[in-house]
Amino acid sequence: MNDEFSYETQDTSLNKKAELPLVWLLPICAFIVSGWLIYKSASEKGPVITIDFPTAEGLEIDKTKIRYLDVEIGKVTDININQDAKTIQVTAQMHHTAENYLNQNTSFWVVRPQVGLAGISGLNTLISGAYIEVKPGDGPHQHHFTGLPAAPVLKTEAKGRQFVLETANLGSLGPRTQINFHGIPVGEVLTQELSVHADSIRLVIFIKAPYDQFVRKNTRFWKDSGIDLSAGADGFKVRTGPLVSMLSGGIAFRTPPDDTVKDVKPEYAMFHLYDTYEQSTQIEYRNTLKYVMYFNGSVRGLTEGAPVQLRGIPIGAVTGISLELDAKTADIRIPVTVDLEPDRIKEINKQPNVSNKDMMSRLISKGLRAQLQTGSLLTGQLLVDLDFHPNSKVALHSNNSPYQEFPTIPSSLDQFTHAAQTIMDKIAKLPLNELTTEMNSTLKSLQVTSKAANGMLTDAKQTMGSADKSLQSADQLLRSLEPGSTTRHEIDKLLLELNQSANSVKQLTDYLEQHPEALLRGKDDE
Amino acid sequence: MKSLPSALRQGLIRCDECGALAQRGAASRPCPVCGSSLHARIPNSLQRTLAFLLCGYALYVPANIYPIMTVTQFGVGETHTILGGILTLIEGDMLPIAILVFIASILVPLLKLIGLSLLWLCVFYRWQVNARRWTLMYRIIAFVGRWSMLDIFMISILISLVDLGGVAQVLAGPAATAFASVVVITLFAAKNFDPRLIWDNQKI
Repeated sequence: MNDEFSYETQDTSLNKKAELPLVWLLPICAFIVSGWLIYKSASEKGPVITIDFPTAEGLEIDKTKIRYLDVEIGKVTDININQDAKTIQVTAQMHHTAENYLNQNTSFWVVRPQVGLAGISGLNTLISGAYIEVKPGDGPHQHHFTGLPAAPVLKTEAKGRQFVLETANLGSLGPRTQINFHGIPVGEVLTQELSVHADSIRLVIFIKAPYDQFVRKNTRFWKDSGIDLSAGADGFKVRTGPLVSMLSGGIAFRTPPDDTVKDVKPEYAMFHLYDTYEQSTQIEYRNTLKYVMYFNGSVRGLTEGAPVQLRGIPIGAVTGISLELDAKTADIRIPVTVDLEPDRIKEINKQPNVSNKDMMSRLISKGLRAQLQTGSLLTGQLLVDLDFHPNSKVALHSNNSPYQEFPTIPSSLDQFTHAAQTIMDKIAKLPLNELTTEMNSTLKSLQVTSKAANGMLTDAKQTMGSADKSLQSADQLLRSLEPGSTTRHEIDKLLLELNQSANSVKQLTDYLEQHPEALLRGKDDE
Repeated sequence: MKSLPSALRQGLIRCDECGALAQRGAASRPCPVCGSSLHARIPNSLQRTLAFLLCGYALYVPANIYPIMTVTQFGVGETHTILGGILTLIEGDMLPIAILVFIASILVPLLKLIGLSLLWLCVFYRWQVNARRWTLMYRIIAFVGRWSMLDIFMISILISLVDLGGVAQVLAGPAATAFASVVVITLFAAKNFDPRLIWDNQKI
């Protein structure tokens, strides 16, 4: 038995010393293939990250993808509610290629379909479901992120620069508001925030390259929202921005041609955002002179911001109007503070060492006075007009304000009222009663005169009657001469006969002219 | 059992091709009936079985961790592993189908691999076992092996049926190849295992 058994083992497959069969290539191949597959999947597995989101709306475990530029770089593997029970935490398995994007400033947000004035986006997510989009950022590597509640305005690393606009009133502006440059959309508002002192709103805007090169030293930004209707001496003017701006507000900017490439502003430079286009076109003068003006009479219609004009050209604005009571004399007066911008006046023959203030004093001594004038008859708005009134006196008041006083003269309306008053006074002083009695006597004498005139008129009537008669006889005479009347016929006949006799005389004279001898010899009988 | 002597012990070799019994002589003598070479037992049976088994194990891992198919709907691809598909079926309240897929796709290949491994170990280490029962196990393994192709059949039908371009599409994943290989390889392993060796090892 034992002997047989040993034979069996030798003979059959139990013999381990048998030659290596080719079948062993198979498991080697299998191990290589599966080992490579496992290695590949293991090496392609990137880090596991966690993202906090306010809501898990549209997110699904194992289905929601994480995409960058529409390339899948990860997948949601778990969704949990955070410990604070206010936000959710998404756990995602990232692809190993995504490793480079997972930095501190990388932002994540959920793409859902959105319909807005600026367009429709994320429509494909209606069918495929929401997905998480990534915008890579810099900073240290990390695996925990806080997702953005909405898509950031700049989804990709677009080239351009950011600037800061300052405005007092946001209006309909906000993130994503379009920025136009000569009508071309060149950027968007990124964020809005209140300034530190809560006195203005700061908008961070992004201008795409190459348009960011046009944000220069004297660039003006203004709100381009809605329709700007203005009426001027040359008719009505309508200014509108692009349609999107009309509907949802917009910002536009403009750079004067004087600015060169050297004046390009650095990133995060601050600009003022003007409320209207008109405001933005006005040149800003930093050099201002403050004066106070005391006007007699009412200043109704004068508002802060009302222009100060010199012969019709604006050179400043009213900055303050108040009411003062002199407790001692019980006088009420109205100090009007104005800002004059002397730089608006182009100086020729410029004198060194003469400051604007000195120049203004010289002008005042030459008779420059302020006067209230009606700017608009419709609205009754007043403006301050400066002009030379060399004959007027400088009437200065006791000035309590920190500013120098600018002499004023009464307004033309005041002057007119004054003159009218004087005329009325004079009229009131006239001796009206005496005048009436005198008038009465004059009228009586006039009555006598008119009676005499009446007698004269009767005489004239008689004269006229005799003249009528003579005219009638003349008429009869003329009527007898009318065609068809006997007299006329006879006259015609007479005229005919006269004509005939004249003809025979003519024949006779002709004959005599040719034959003068006939006078002596008689007519030739031929 | 003990009273039954094997053919080999009686000096006989059964031809694998025609079943004719021949006298045991020189190892490489051909069958007197059909002319094929005679082997008392399948040559290198244990080595071959082991090679196929290891191959099967090696492929079983990617078959289960890789997606077996990718279902694309409206351009959004969704991959399914075998296990993931079963879980989806359970979630979809299709428990019987889930059980069926689980048995055919996971349990059967695994049990086949383990069973054959046990048989191999049994022969290699000359375990004294109930040979009749172990042979029964071998028969079950050899019979049930082909049914594991259920998954592959299903996927190939789905691929040809669901091909609507961008709307919906089913694509086979790398695991499908691996899984099909596992099934085929285990069939080979079972084929190459000689159940007579179980009996040979039993010390009477």
